[in-house]
Amino acid sequence: MTHIHHNLPIELAQSALSVAADSGADVAQFRIAQHDSRGISLRDGIVENIGSDSSIALSVRVVVNGAWGFAASTDLSESSARDAALRALAMARLSAKVSSDPVVLAQEPAHGTQSWVLPIGEDAFAKSDDEVIALLQSWNTRVSRASIVNHIDAHTAMGRDTTFFADLNGNAITQRRDRISAQLTASHVGDNGFEDMRTCAPPAGRGFEYLTGTGWDWEAELSALPDYLEQKVKAPSVEAGTWDLVIDPTNLWLTIHESIGHATELDRALGYEANYAGTSFATIDKLGTFKYGSPVMNVTGDRVAEHGLSTVGFDDEGVAAQQWHLIKDGILTGYQTDRSIAAKVGLERSNGCAFADSATHVPIQRMPNVSLQPADDDTTTQDLISRVNRGIYIVGDKSWSIDMQRYNFQFTGQRFFEIKDGQIVGQLKDVVYQSKTPDFWGSMEAVGGTSTYLLGGALNCGKGQPGQVAPVSHGAPSALFRGINILNGRQEASA
Amino acid sequence: MSDISLAQSVDIALELLGQDGGVAVAESNASANLRWANSSLTTNGDMHERTLSIAAFVPTSDGVGAGLASGQIRTREDIAVLVKRARAAGVAGGASEDARELFSGPVDPDFYNEPVAVDLAQLEHVANGLGETFKNDSAQFFGYAEQSADTSYVGTSAGTRIRFVQHTSRFELCAKSHERDRSSWTGQSGTTFSDVDVHAHTVAVLEGLEFQKNRIDIEPGLHKVTLSSSALADLMIYLMWTASAREAAEGRSVFSATAGGTRVGERLSARDFTVSADPNAHGLETLNRVISVGSSTFASTFDTGIEIAPVDVIRNGVLNALGSSRHTAEMAKLPFTPLADNIVVTDAHGHGSLQETAARMQDGLLITCLWYIREVDPQSLLLTGLTRDGVYVVRDGEIIGAANNFRFNESPVGMLNRIVDAGEAINCLPREWADWFPRARVAPVVIDGFNLSTRSDAI
Repeated sequence: MTHIHHNLPIELAQSALSVAADSGADVAQFRIAQHDSRGISLRDGIVENIGSDSSIALSVRVVVNGAWGFAASTDLSESSARDAALRALAMARLSAKVSSDPVVLAQEPAHGTQSWVLPIGEDAFAKSDDEVIALLQSWNTRVSRASIVNHIDAHTAMGRDTTFFADLNGNAITQRRDRISAQLTASHVGDNGFEDMRTCAPPAGRGFEYLTGTGWDWEAELSALPDYLEQKVKAPSVEAGTWDLVIDPTNLWLTIHESIGHATELDRALGYEANYAGTSFATIDKLGTFKYGSPVMNVTGDRVAEHGLSTVGFDDEGVAAQQWHLIKDGILTGYQTDRSIAAKVGLERSNGCAFADSATHVPIQRMPNVSLQPADDDTTTQDLISRVNRGIYIVGDKSWSIDMQRYNFQFTGQRFFEIKDGQIVGQLKDVVYQSKTPDFWGSMEAVGGTSTYLLGGALNCGKGQPGQVAPVSHGAPSALFRGINILNGRQEASA
Repeated sequence: MSDISLAQSVDIALELLGQDGGVAVAESNASANLRWANSSLTTNGDMHERTLSIAAFVPTSDGVGAGLASGQIRTREDIAVLVKRARAAGVAGGASEDARELFSGPVDPDFYNEPVAVDLAQLEHVANGLGETFKNDSAQFFGYAEQSADTSYVGTSAGTRIRFVQHTSRFELCAKSHERDRSSWTGQSGTTFSDVDVHAHTVAVLEGLEFQKNRIDIEPGLHKVTLSSSALADLMIYLMWTASAREAAEGRSVFSATAGGTRVGERLSARDFTVSADPNAHGLETLNRVISVGSSTFASTFDTGIEIAPVDVIRNGVLNALGSSRHTAEMAKLPFTPLADNIVVTDAHGHGSLQETAARMQDGLLITCLWYIREVDPQSLLLTGLTRDGVYVVRDGEIIGAANNFRFNESPVGMLNRIVDAGEAINCLPREWADWFPRARVAPVVIDGFNLSTRSDAI
């Protein structure tokens, strides 16, 4: 296979960047990105798919006459690098004819030659297929022993990004980061239909050690999964209406992602995603004054969190990784930016959120790790539950949807534990929670302490046209919300 | 450039796979795009990608295994590495339950022709049209245009050699008032930009903004609605993605029968409503052969090369077929039903345009776009999502203004029996799923009691 060899990126970068500079480009950026992935899926214990992919491409992005131009190719030859530069120049000139919004980049110091690697334990790509399959089959065997379980789907996926960035400012940055994920879903088919129950382990910026007990207690969750499923099958259907909620970080990370993460993307707030992903209610005029949530709400953006899926040394514009507040004491205080978006609103520096999912796609403003900070005290999840007379403790994510300005959202989950007088009394099913972003976060009465904090996340955050997919992490403690609208999923279907 | 052509890479891969055999698919993806926002072009791209994917078959103690590998290749050695990886994965995975004898498919005479490229002049046609649109300062314009040309080279160790070219174009235009209190959208899919009339799209979105000047607050609840072709396409595509024979037979789908088995043969709609996938549908032509490097409930790599016939999943209101591979069809005890990569939704009595259909509704809401559609309950196939960029209030057959947006909670299966009228099917761009499913010809429909569950304040 074609791989990034030691001198290849520099040679190709020099070819492409010299063509761009000689042709009058004001900005020229060169990237090579290699993405390796591995996946194994089992259906009822039998391998359904097993395989790997390794893709590699180069790209050139330029600014000419105030307009961007971008071109890419999977051909890693010197002639291809020069051709990509010429095609990017041509696209910029075409774009400049009908662009009235000149590109200006916020300043960033040159970082020179740099190398950054995400720390991991065991290299998942070095593990044999036999070893990975054996692990998944052991999970399958354990869960399948329970009579309530009729079907099991299990899979694992591993990813590695190896990237090189160079520009006319003298940057030459090589980076590598790994991620891993696994899920197991147990299903029951009975006379009254079917139900399923899934593990809640989030994907993580870790190695194979994650599947064997470091960072997630698989033993405990897999042992409990059949009981969770049986409780759900036998559970009463929820009564629609207003309930208090204690939301576990295994669920809350997704609500953070949709209602805070995307809402604080500055390109969205300024209209640059309006045709596709939408805009944001959190417009720039609200910065510093808008009450996003209750005073216990503190949210940070970062590209530095340990094991974070959006953690990196430098972004795809050569901006060094940072951490900053998006929401402080419930007030909107910041956005996610790339260099051109930062410059549009007069920020001196980007906070390093430009990246692409491959070298064949243009870098756009993407999401850093966006996390709700825990309380300073040692409030536990049980402490939060004990404060609820009639409520639901929600664990694990499932369905999600939010409107194009990030107001109206609706989520479900994996397990819904009914709370009566401060105690969990069993599961409910068909629970759907729906709210409006500022109302929801305004109803957050308390957050748990650091012992409840967990870094959740997803591999499939979508944005942009052409569509791009990115992994991203969201840390959260458990949190208590008052008076949230609960719908009954079954009743909604037969309304 | 690579030292070997994509067609040659398929031959070499199959040669290296040897007697055990397998499937090799080489793809060239050429695409160019323009994006714009706030009445100015923003990003763009001109991309060339080439990939080789291999499914290696390997004998195991109890059958045949299949391992997968894909990546970029330049040399014979690169292909050998992919083959080695795929074979190793096949050995580790053990016998594949979907293993079947490979079908000996066609040998295309143009197999060794070069891949096709994108004509950048077509993009210039769009850019020039946008230049005129951006001069209109009564609104701000946002949107996206993409032209792609994908060339696939498919080979199997049973002798199949298929070369297939798919041209896809997509144009979207959104207009917003300067105050951001009104928003309208239009889209067009096809194979070329040459028939994209940017001016006509501009007129259409500006007309939408005019209607929206009269804002009428409507409460959530069960409403009679007219769904545009784009909106219905997004719901019916999800129905198609769920129409798996295996899932239904295992009791894990909305198409599972309560007493076991599937609901095939059950009437889902009182109307002569038909949902099809037809590789030969005019203007939506797509490959009429199975290509699958990997296995799922819908497709098996061992079926690669088998012909795909037109299929009515729902025929005249009755669930008629569910998608399958040869393997999953046997499991479900249903006919083998591979599905083409497009959707055609018609009503035998449907007539008239969207506007005429909405007018016949007399009183109700005309919904132009749906967005952020996700599954809430697989048992009923309850989906949730939002209305977007135009919910128009119809009274006495006339559009009198625009309503607020809503979150809907509705099942595309459950609502079939509440369709009370339909228009004529037209080619349309499914707003939500166009990235994955751009080829659709769908009728607008009128539905009673559509569940607009909660209000959305989004514009």
